Amino acid sequence: MARKISFSKAINEALHQEMEKDESVFIIGEDVAKMGGDFGITSGIWDKWPKRAYDTALSESAFMGLACGASVCGLRPVAELMFADFVTVCYDQLVNNAAKLNYMYQGEASAQFVVRAVTGGGIRCAYHHSQCIEPWLMNIPGLVIVAPATPYEAKGLLVSAIRNNNPVVFLEHKHLYNTKGEVPEELYEIPLYEADVVREGEHITMVAAMSMLDFARKAAAEMEKKGVSVEIINPRTIFPLDKETIKKSVAKTGRLIVVQEGPKVMGYGAEIGALVGEELFEYLRAPVKRVTSLDTPVPFAPGMEDYVLPHYEDVIKACNEVMAF
Amino acid sequence: MALSKEHLLKVYEDMVLIRRFEEEVEVYAKNGTIPGFIHLSIGQEAAQAGVVDALKDTDYKFPDHRGHGAIVLSSKPEDRKKCMSEIFAKETGINGGRGGSMHVHDLSVRNMGFNGIQGSTMVTVLGTAFNSVYTGTDDVSVVFLGDGTLGEGACHESLNMAATWKLPVIYVLINNHYAISTHYTEAHPQPQLAQWADGYCVPNSTIDGNNIEEVIETTQEAIDRARKGEGPTLIEMMTYRWQGHFSGDPAAYRPDGELEAWMEKDPIKVSRETLQSKHGVSDKEIDAIHAKVEKEIEEYVKFSLESPDPKPEDAVKYVYTDREVEGR
Repeated sequence: MARKISFSKAINEALHQEMEKDESVFIIGEDVAKMGGDFGITSGIWDKWPKRAYDTALSESAFMGLACGASVCGLRPVAELMFADFVTVCYDQLVNNAAKLNYMYQGEASAQFVVRAVTGGGIRCAYHHSQCIEPWLMNIPGLVIVAPATPYEAKGLLVSAIRNNNPVVFLEHKHLYNTKGEVPEELYEIPLYEADVVREGEHITMVAAMSMLDFARKAAAEMEKKGVSVEIINPRTIFPLDKETIKKSVAKTGRLIVVQEGPKVMGYGAEIGALVGEELFEYLRAPVKRVTSLDTPVPFAPGMEDYVLPHYEDVIKACNEVMAF
Repeated sequence: MALSKEHLLKVYEDMVLIRRFEEEVEVYAKNGTIPGFIHLSIGQEAAQAGVVDALKDTDYKFPDHRGHGAIVLSSKPEDRKKCMSEIFAKETGINGGRGGSMHVHDLSVRNMGFNGIQGSTMVTVLGTAFNSVYTGTDDVSVVFLGDGTLGEGACHESLNMAATWKLPVIYVLINNHYAISTHYTEAHPQPQLAQWADGYCVPNSTIDGNNIEEVIETTQEAIDRARKGEGPTLIEMMTYRWQGHFSGDPAAYRPDGELEAWMEKDPIKVSRETLQSKHGVSDKEIDAIHAKVEKEIEEYVKFSLESPDPKPEDAVKYVYTDREVEGR
């Protein structure tokens, strides 16, 4: 498996191959058809299948509603939110409609569609194009939130998301689009709801999603030099969380650090911290640490944005603190 | 185009059925048997019965929160008692008791159910209509909305997209004059709300929503247009709810005499007069219809009262299609 492609190409390939295979899959969103998406992720689809790629008005509520209704009829829409921040203008369809349909229909039908949502900061676009939205959706039972960190995961998880019968919010971190990695050419699935133990370790469990996995890898390498072994867990599905994998790891290491790009308050770090506090208290050798953004909107000026986003040095500081406790 | 005697007799029975259905629901809501709150559509029967009458089973229906009538009449006769037991929060309910008055759906007749958020189904309906186009069927999608719903932003997005893409949607705007306590003229600038659709190049009309013949005829025209691929239509049906917003609301915001004036235009009374004056239907025939309905309603109520409650622990079922949620 020597071929390396980018994260964005991996998503594009998953869409092409799955659309080739399943006629019920179509794409919809703003500029996703003729232009191939604002980030080029859906390029080539409209050329191949002009009747299965739809550019809409700037109407997130309308196309999310359309995706809900069409998916209940048996189609498998893949909608694109050009920026995840725009979820606020279609929030009702996701939260009050899609997430409840299987419950309401008692399993007879469900909102089997995917929302690809371009998330995260670091591209100097300020607070309406840079937010991490997963906490806004994480307490909505019925929704699934998937967060790939590598090109391999992007393809395999998207294929699983499209084939899954629940409404899936598929987070694409814009900082990852140009990263490259090995990706099989054939179609494959990576199961949802299962975290990946990226690296085994003995002393610290570090949970990191999406672009934060990079920080975790670097920190693990740096701590290794000091004789500290870090186990890295990439949740892959942020909600519902794979609690067992996290618990198993923390029971072994007794130390937990969560690295999360969004604000500290009420993120997946808070949830994982509470889980460990509730269920693994007796295993803990040190307080749980969270390395996150500050609790502010994401500012525009590069210096200000860098100040707010998580700092790598803070990951190392957290490692040292939990080891010294 | 007047309805035949047989057709008018059929929809007369439909209207009596849903009137009696709701009167019984109100009795059991007021005495505490039915939990929560309910919204009644007594006085609005022609709009609901007429629209459902014009549709076929495979057409998609999105009733509104005042939609017991459309729900019951969409269901197969043998399932109607389950619509009532759903409102009674019973295990035998058509949704196992997890939806209640505002969320009764029946996919076997493509009643897609209501969403408790006003305006939400206005955009969901785009999906079922899109599905008809995508899969090449002539099924149309009907969404019911009230005058209050029209204030929601989703209505703009829905008409804009349906009109641009010529989706087979029929918007049934049941104007019963009040969004809870706010009169439609206090909330919208158009003298008649149907005019609002002009801005989207959507054909529209305002009709007497208490005249079932007019309701059926206008809806049929819209359906024909949608089936031919000519796009959406909005029909504003003028009517009036006799009760308050919810069962128990004294509706003190209404001016004196307004309700009484509308009760004179009772859709059931209007149809009965037509049946008797134009079609020579006798009192005896009318009484027989009422007696038949009475028997059915008695059966629905008995079924609902005797049905068991759902098992509390079933509340964790169906959250996801492929995984369990922890119970207590």
